[in-house]
This record gives sequence, structure tokens and C-alpha cells, in this order.
Amino acid sequence: MLVSMVLEARPQRRPTLDDVFVIDADVHAHETPEALLPYTDPEWREAVGNVAKVPHRYLNRPAFCPTPPYTLPGQALPSARNKAREEIVWDAAQMRRELDALAIDVGILFPDNFLKISAIPNGAYAAALARAYNRWIADAWVRDANDLYGVVMAVQQDPDDAVREIERYADHPRFVGVYLPTCQSYPLWGHRKFWKVLAASEEAGLPVMLHSVSGNSWVFPFNTSQMGTIAVHTASHVFAMMANLMSFMENGIPVRFPRLRICFTEAGLTWVPFLRMRLDKEYQENRRTWPYYEDRPSAYIKKMWFATQPVEEPENRQDLVDLIRIYDGEDTTVFASDWPHHDFDHPRSVFDLPVSPEYKRKLMGENALCLFGTKIKVPARYRWQSSTQSGL
Amino acid sequence: MAVEHTVGALSELPPGSKKVVRAGAIEVGVFNVDGELYALPNVCPHQFGPLCKGIVSGTVVARPETGFKPTWVHEGRIVVCPWHALEFDVTTGRCVAFPKLKLRQYRVRVDDGGMVRLLA
Repeated sequence: MLVSMVLEARPQRRPTLDDVFVIDADVHAHETPEALLPYTDPEWREAVGNVAKVPHRYLNRPAFCPTPPYTLPGQALPSARNKAREEIVWDAAQMRRELDALAIDVGILFPDNFLKISAIPNGAYAAALARAYNRWIADAWVRDANDLYGVVMAVQQDPDDAVREIERYADHPRFVGVYLPTCQSYPLWGHRKFWKVLAASEEAGLPVMLHSVSGNSWVFPFNTSQMGTIAVHTASHVFAMMANLMSFMENGIPVRFPRLRICFTEAGLTWVPFLRMRLDKEYQENRRTWPYYEDRPSAYIKKMWFATQPVEEPENRQDLVDLIRIYDGEDTTVFASDWPHHDFDHPRSVFDLPVSPEYKRKLMGENALCLFGTKIKVPARYRWQSSTQSGL
Repeated sequence: MAVEHTVGALSELPPGSKKVVRAGAIEVGVFNVDGELYALPNVCPHQFGPLCKGIVSGTVVARPETGFKPTWVHEGRIVVCPWHALEFDVTTGRCVAFPKLKLRQYRVRVDDGGMVRLLA
């Protein structure tokens, strides 16, 4: 009886985006030295205050978002996307408003400038920036009412402090992951000096979220000074994720930390089938060099998570569905928009894939609920969906 | 239908040795591991290399119980295909890299005359 009542409550039409619970695994809050100053430890306020004296430049501010001088703006052809919109979200209210307009229910906040925090050479200063950022997110961004959640920023320059930050926010109801910067980051995250960070994340029950951004440095795969925007953007994201995934596999991370959830963001999806097949092929000849495993690499990679953005847009949309099937990703692929960045994806870019309504719900929100865990509150108007699923 | 083939005298197949023989249309590798006899097809399921002509030794694993320290194990049990180095446990037929991959195991016995007999 209950089941039939629930069934009648279902709309008698194909679900639209508004009918589906949408978790966006990657949106960007714009942190500035001015905003972080009140959240900065006293001994670092002078340093952050000095940075605040440098005029604001988008993702390009010395000692805050370092970019090599030879990549300053003005050395490229006129861009087709110049200044059409600001591409910055300054505060939580603006984020909520803009996500509402995109039919996105929940947003997982990542930084803007600190996508490049690994390029800051002073480790103590980088750790101080991360502490200030985490406090700022906790205090000024995440609220019960706004469905925004944070990730704890873990800096490579000070793994011990990264562990302390993870422990500090482990039980915070609105921190749902750990952000591992991968732009110009070396060594890669599988290196043993970072095992304590991975162990703390596993212990806290927080997934690690690897995130990159375009960068240019001597560190692979960011040594791209002879390349233009398209190639740099591809290498900085896709190759960074591939290198870090291989670093995890090289160091046995999936078996050393078997409960650790690992998510790769902002590199699209099409590299995943390639890397899985390639590693399986290499493994059969050289298994002894990765002696940690009892099965082929793909058996472990299929337990990792992949965020969609920038989602590939093949002429035949079925091709993307086939690719997700090839990497067993129906339950491990999560929607991300990357709002408000230049290459953001509207939710319909994923929602409109030619798959069943159940599959759409997984991609748009249910998989992310599994990734981020029970801290994320499902708005009441969606509860009937879950009840029909368990009822049927 | 399987028929019995004579591999040779057990005295010519001491522990740690192996012999590849023809059995009708196929080739079979017969192994003596610590006094127990095992027989596997001489065809690697990967790309059909002559698996049983490979070297028999041990292998490297790194498991939680050794603190993930790479450790030499299964000495005398692992045959490595000479083509692409896929490893198989002679005693189980199981592939070390891909555990779902398992070779057929032929029956092999020693008759009253001390001859090794293969059913294949």
C-alpha cells in the first residue's frame, strides 16, 4: 500500500533537472588576502597584509597565487571569452544565488588562488595560509541553511600541519573532504612523506580530493613553457591526475589505506579508461615492481572516484556513456561544475547523457552522497526519491 | 577423450625439474614441486606463448602481514612465461597478476613401474 502511494506521487513524466538532487563536487570560493587577514595567525598578519597591498589580479598574485613572470597576461592572442562575466564568487550568498540559478542543490567549496598553493616556497607561510583559509570557510561560507560544504586544505609544504588541520575539522559537520593541491606539487601525493596525510584522511573518514589548475613550473607535468593555452590546460589537469594516480598505485596506497576514498577532479573522464587499460597491460609484465596487489590495477582504480568536469562532449553522447562503462564508473562518477570558472559545466551537460533516470540520479547526486558521506543533508523535497528506491 | 601418455621415468623428473611433452595434439608441462607432480598446458592464455618452457622459481609480493615489505615467496612454485613474463603458480594453475585467470590442471600419476603417466 505504501509503495503504491509513493508510486502515485512520482511525476508521470521524464525527470527534469529540477526533479533530481544535485551535488556539485567542485565550486570555487574566491579567497583574497583581505578576506583572510582576520583569520590569519597574528605572526603572519604582516605577511598577508603585505600581499593585500598588491593590486588584485585574477589567480595571479605574488606570494598568494604565484605565477612565473613569463606567463603574465598580455602575451597571447585576444581571447574570445574576455570579460564577458567576472568568473569570481566573492561570498557565500553570491554562491548560493548562482548555484540556485544552475539548479545545483549542494556545492563543495574549493579555493581559487590556493589552487597554486604548492608553488609557495615558504612552507610555514603556506601552512598559515591554509589554516586561515580553513577558518574562513568554516566561519564565513558554510551554513546549515546554504547547503555549502568545505574541504580541508592540506598543504604539501607542511604535512604535519596538514594532519593537524584534518584532525581539527574531522568532526566539523560541514567539512566533507580533504583538498590535495596538485598544481606544481612535488613529490606526487603517493610519496611516503604524505602517508600521514592520507592516514589522517582515512581515519577522519574524509575523502581526498585531488585538484589541479593551469600552471607553469619545472615540475612534471607543469614544465610546459613551449605550449599554449590548450596544451597547458590539458597537461596541467589531466596529466597531473594521471601522475598522481600512478603515484598512489606505485606506492601501494589502495592497500595501505584500504578505507581511503580518493577522488580526481577537474580532469574530465576520458583519461580514466586509457590509464586503467595501460596499467593493466604493463602490470602483467612487471607485476613484481608493484608487489602490493592481489589483482590488476583496474581492480583498485575502479574503487576510486572521478568528477565529471570538464566533461568531454563527443558528437555522439553515447560515446561518453560507453567510456564510463569501460571504467566501471556508474557508481563512482560524480557531477562537478567548476563554477564560476571559465570552463564550468552546466548540470545539463551530464544530466542529458542518454542513460536511465536512476543512472542520472547517481551521476548528479547519489554517487556524491556515497563519496562525501552522511554529513551532507538531503533536502526534504528529495526524500521521496530515496524512499521509492528502497521501497522498490 | 583424454588418454594416458607416458612422460618418462620419475627418476628423470626429480624435485625442482620439469619436462614439456607432447600429448596428442597438445603440449603439456609436467612439474615436480617438492615431490608432488603437476601438469599444465604449455600455452600461456595471454598470447599463447610456450609458458611451461619458462623459468621456475619464486616471486615477489608485499602484503599487510609483512608491513608491505617486498618479500620473496613460493620458491619453486612459480613458472614465468618466456614471452611476456606472466607468472603462474604451478601448484594451483592460478595467475599471480590476474587471480581470476586459472589454467587447466591435468592429472598426472606415477605407475607401479615408476613411470610418470599424464592424462590429457
